[in-house]
Amino acid sequence: MVVAKQKKTINRLKSMYPLRAKVNETYLKSIEAIQAGKPAVWGMLNFYYGDPILKAMDIEVVYPENYGAIAAAMGVARQYLDRADAEGFPTHLCGYSLTTLGYASRMMKELQGQIPPEAPLGGMPKPLFLMSSAAICDARYKWFQALGRYMDVPVWPLEAPIPGIKEFFIEGYYDRMVKLGVKHLRDFVAFVEGMVGKRMDWDKLDKTADLMIEVNRVWHEVNELRKAKPCPMHSRDFWSAMPAALFLAGDLEDSLRLYQDMYGEVKDRVNNHVGTIPDEKYRLVFAELPPWHSLAFFDKLAERGWDFVIESVGYHPPIPIDLSKVSDPLERITKFSLQFLVGYYEDARKQSVLGGTTAYPYLKYAQEWKCDGALLHPLISCRSASTHLPYVSDMLMEKLKVPSLSIEGDIVDLRLFNPEDALAKAEPFEETMEYYRKMRKQAGFDW
Amino acid sequence: MSDKNKGLGKAREIYLDSSRRPKDLRAAGKKIIGYPCVYVPLEMLTALDLVPYRTCGDIKEPVTEADRVLPHSFCPIMRNCLDCALKNKNNFLDGMVTIHSSDPQEKTARIWESYTHYPYFHFIDMPITVRPEALEYFKGQLNDFRKTLEAFTAKKLSTDNLETAIKSHNQQRVLVRKLYELTKTSPPRISGTEIVQVVKALTSLPVAEGNDLLTETISEVKNRSDGPDKKSARLLIWSSTLDDTDIMQVFEAKANVVMNESCGGVRAYRGEVKLTADPLEGLADYYLNEITCARTFRQATLGETRKDYARDLQSRFGYLGGTIKEWKINGVIMLLVRYCDPFAFEMPSLKDYLSSLGIPSTYIEYDYTTGALAPLRTRVEAFVETISQ
Repeated sequence: MVVAKQKKTINRLKSMYPLRAKVNETYLKSIEAIQAGKPAVWGMLNFYYGDPILKAMDIEVVYPENYGAIAAAMGVARQYLDRADAEGFPTHLCGYSLTTLGYASRMMKELQGQIPPEAPLGGMPKPLFLMSSAAICDARYKWFQALGRYMDVPVWPLEAPIPGIKEFFIEGYYDRMVKLGVKHLRDFVAFVEGMVGKRMDWDKLDKTADLMIEVNRVWHEVNELRKAKPCPMHSRDFWSAMPAALFLAGDLEDSLRLYQDMYGEVKDRVNNHVGTIPDEKYRLVFAELPPWHSLAFFDKLAERGWDFVIESVGYHPPIPIDLSKVSDPLERITKFSLQFLVGYYEDARKQSVLGGTTAYPYLKYAQEWKCDGALLHPLISCRSASTHLPYVSDMLMEKLKVPSLSIEGDIVDLRLFNPEDALAKAEPFEETMEYYRKMRKQAGFDW
Repeated sequence: MSDKNKGLGKAREIYLDSSRRPKDLRAAGKKIIGYPCVYVPLEMLTALDLVPYRTCGDIKEPVTEADRVLPHSFCPIMRNCLDCALKNKNNFLDGMVTIHSSDPQEKTARIWESYTHYPYFHFIDMPITVRPEALEYFKGQLNDFRKTLEAFTAKKLSTDNLETAIKSHNQQRVLVRKLYELTKTSPPRISGTEIVQVVKALTSLPVAEGNDLLTETISEVKNRSDGPDKKSARLLIWSSTLDDTDIMQVFEAKANVVMNESCGGVRAYRGEVKLTADPLEGLADYYLNEITCARTFRQATLGETRKDYARDLQSRFGYLGGTIKEWKINGVIMLLVRYCDPFAFEMPSLKDYLSSLGIPSTYIEYDYTTGALAPLRTRVEAFVETISQ
């Protein structure tokens, strides 16, 4: 009997697949190069700060945060979590960090530095050094420091200033942030040169910085097009396509071309009123990290007419700024990276939304992408992606009359996310969204 | 029972009602500025005749209001502090200074500022490393703090006044260390519980009054005949915060706590601010470099390209070695406030360091509620029994 393949509810972008394939191919090439003896660095998502430097130095980077998600999705994280627990790390720590700590313990204590045979996708080899980041959460620099228990590997923690929204406008503040960043990166370059035993190719860094900025500009423009009704691109496409811009995965010239292709496809959809789901009844914003291990959950919601039109501010590119007149590539990189943190500050201050870098953008998202509701995903072991969510919920309701639905989960522990329970909440939330749609109209909002 | 108006008795009274003195001072025309963390440079407040008041939590207070704005799986101390603020328990404050000493501090600061309405509110960003460029940036942060304080008070912060304030706060640090000298004897002349009361009192008083209190207390303790009994264990408690006598009494039921290595104990008082030509330089160096909280990333050599675990441990925990020896400590409790990531990541490494010194240790977690006291008691009793054999 021939079984007809069931058509997926979400109309995925065709241009997403080559972009994703490029990212996957790059990852596998990277693993092959590392297995052939090329040195690897373990890096932390650093919001564009350190990545272009490593890229210009032709260093292979693996990201334990991503690897934690992969290990969870492929069902091998549990043994690493248990091992980290046995080593004395509290179980409420970030799930990605515990996965990495358990993995490192197994690799170094049991296997004398060999990659564990059960490790998916080729595993993570012992690194030459670690590049951590202070951006967004404490775990992201303390975790790499804690790895010193298993590997005598140097760590470079990248500083990431986080100003208060009012304080940022004190005269000279921004310039001091830039000064910190440039000096810090210059020292980082010297550190990397010392580690790999070769000099930085400054022309290559210059070009890399420009490409990074341009890739992210195009990627930003793609997401701007999603304001259209019906929405031409679903959050699932966003999450699939983002690594090339966020982690600079793959060749940047290829990535630029592929994001341009994506822009073309999304623009076509806008012009032809093609949406991502058959009947866009509700437009939603998603915050923050998705349940990577259960993404099919969004297909179920799509069947109900829920369209996720914008999402995860921490993964979005900065609002573009003109850096073409900044000649020093380190200054350009610094300013671009800072733009991720402070790009929304001016608007946030005007609207007296003081709740932090990651809170205000949701107000803008809901207003400009015309959202009927917000799906919040607080994570048990990721406080940085969860702390601001009650505030976001309050703010969306108070300022825009947009309701939120909160569904708890975790980034690694699959048991903590219950899609059935979440789906059971969908129908009553639809009534809530309908109600507030009326409330918004009465209050003079245009959606 | 000691005199309620001086020394230990007075400290106990202030501990039990820490807002009374700030309220009196406010009624007399002073401005009171709250701060949640020992990283805030109090010297700058003192120099402008502002009264610093540490906004602590209260383990007996169930968190209700903060539930609206912070998730459950979040630093229980910050939840508790914010809860008290949202219940208007701090409504005598004229302002609030917060600092990025940890993520929960930074994130709570945003929420705090958004849901309260003090005439003054300032957030100080703080780097994670002690690299030269980080110190320079932090000094700039303190200069911004100066600017907003000057605007708020309509006064200039003069170098002379700042130096005088630094000297007063340094004197307080010296006096606290002198107080801790009195726990070196066996039995100690002052209990860990009494020191918690004194330290909390200091954070509720202008510095000069605090120094008077310390001077009286030291004199009283030196001459007392009713000090703590000798117990079988001499403990060091290592924690982010241990500022509550109910918790300390759980430890002291079975042991002498001779060192409270937390910001409710000795942490903010171990060193001194250097008097530099630009006082902000000395302050930046002290607060970023000298306070030994797990939040700061330390390494044996800045920017090192080779790493050695033993040297790494020494750079992170070496300050404990001398204390353990001098105070003849025979056990360490690593007391983790649940969800405190900077301290949580340190636990196995600190245990390694203590093992290298031959000191037994245990890790205990609690959530800053009275409900945590019973299980805490069981764990402490078991540990003390083990090390006393």
